[in-house]
Amino acid sequence: MHDVTEEYKTLVSIAERTGGQEGAFASEDAIYVVVHGNHILASHALPGVVIEASETEDGVDAKITVKAGVKVPKPVHLCFGHLAASGKQVIKSRIFIEEKASAEFQAHCIFPNAIEFLHAMEGEIHLGPFSSFSYREVHVHGPEGRIDVRPVSRVRIDEGAIYRGDFTLVEGRVGNLAIDIDVDAFGRKSRVEVTSKVYGKYDDFCQVRDIVKLNGPESSALIKARVVLKDRSQGKFLGLVDGAAPGARGHVDCTEVVQGEAKAVASPVVQASHPEAEVTHEAAIGRIADDKIQGLMAKGLTTDEAIDFVVSGLLR
Amino acid sequence: MLEPHLLFVKGIEVEREGNPILRGISMQVKPGEICGVLGRNGAGKSSLAYAVMGLPQYMPKAGRIWFDGQDITEWGVTERAKAGVTLAWQHPARYEGITVRDYLRLSNPSADENALESALELVQMEPFYLDRLVDKGLSGGERKRIELSSIYLMKPRLAILDEPDSGVDLLALGEVMGLFKILASGGSSVLIITHREDVAGACDRAYLMCAGKMILEGSAEAVKRYFLSQCEPCLELEPVKVGEVAASHA
Repeated sequence: MHDVTEEYKTLVSIAERTGGQEGAFASEDAIYVVVHGNHILASHALPGVVIEASETEDGVDAKITVKAGVKVPKPVHLCFGHLAASGKQVIKSRIFIEEKASAEFQAHCIFPNAIEFLHAMEGEIHLGPFSSFSYREVHVHGPEGRIDVRPVSRVRIDEGAIYRGDFTLVEGRVGNLAIDIDVDAFGRKSRVEVTSKVYGKYDDFCQVRDIVKLNGPESSALIKARVVLKDRSQGKFLGLVDGAAPGARGHVDCTEVVQGEAKAVASPVVQASHPEAEVTHEAAIGRIADDKIQGLMAKGLTTDEAIDFVVSGLLR
Repeated sequence: MLEPHLLFVKGIEVEREGNPILRGISMQVKPGEICGVLGRNGAGKSSLAYAVMGLPQYMPKAGRIWFDGQDITEWGVTERAKAGVTLAWQHPARYEGITVRDYLRLSNPSADENALESALELVQMEPFYLDRLVDKGLSGGERKRIELSSIYLMKPRLAILDEPDSGVDLLALGEVMGLFKILASGGSSVLIITHREDVAGACDRAYLMCAGKMILEGSAEAVKRYFLSQCEPCLELEPVKVGEVAASHA
């Protein structure tokens, strides 16, 4: 028989350990959804936040609305995962942050036993005027096997709204990762910050594609990627900011660190479709300097422990 | 009866890119002593420190290194550190995203907040530094003092301090030099690499290095006097018998 309680306990305990606070899924004043495969195990909302979720063949379809003027004081926790070795989970989400509302969502994507798995997150996010929304997605995978991770987000940002997106995959194997984020900052003085942090190992493949179109006058964007690759892993980064409105300002900042036989490609692209826009970029691909590793080895760390320590700082 | 020694280096030869940088170096450090290696820039002092620490680029092509009676010549850096050898680098590396607290805890994972604060206090640093990052935001002198704090927390059997005064302001220099004695009184042997005679003067015993060779060994005072009176920029010196105190200069 399916042990739903055990699945819930395992997912929640990992989520709490990897970025969620203890009790984040139990307290009365918390907002959360816990999904295992295509089963909604738990869901809790509070006034001002509406969660409409339904189970689909491969996952769930959820619409979450933060009503106008509502400021959600604590992070909203979304726990998606599967404890099986193989399978598929597709999460379709539509998130609406209405005018002058603010919220911080923390998604925990947990696949500790996955060997052959597809995890797709297809999200549409709409930020109303003068709203604020932070979306942080933390992945936890097992040490073995391959998992296909496809986080896809389409974000639209209205006047004076602020969007912060943070994708982190630093624990366990990455497998095949293809982050695809497309942001349309169409509102005047809208603001975007997109950060991706990935640690690839073995023969992982990590692709990050962050596109921001600054269509709103005086809108601004920062795309930041920190990708660490070791062993035979490969990484590809494309960060594009298009300054398409007067006074738009954007910056792309990518650092890729390679160790062993890893390979990295970084393409920071800046485009000024409007003559009064200003967009800049910086990109670096390099190895962890010997003096950093040897400095830590002189304190008793092995080479691998030293690399992990350096990487933990880079990806923090 | 032979004097006990913690570190015993005999006749090591090290080359970099085909050039000899350490030429038949022999020296010893006794348990609990503060031993100095004095010399001008480029004498090979830091290379000696790297060779003792076991950096692969500084592996001797001849000669042996013993630590506490064990031949460690073929050992790697980690093995030597686990045996109790450590090095405070002349220019300590910086680590993006790592706090001073995390960095210090590497040296002593069981150190509580009070222990970390005390270690910083020894080098005149305030507790707020624990939350700072060990990155480019720190000055060279601040980074250096944090490195010395981490050595103190590690309580190694042999602490090699490469130019411990470099970048440290005069006000903090007294504390840094006082740390040598604190380390020694805590049971560590200390090997100080320096080009400053006043720093060498704080040692129990010292060597003088020049052009990759050890040219003098004796009391810190005698070596310091010889350095001040005789040393000038040179590329080559004929070897002076190792182990002989420059009594004529005493």
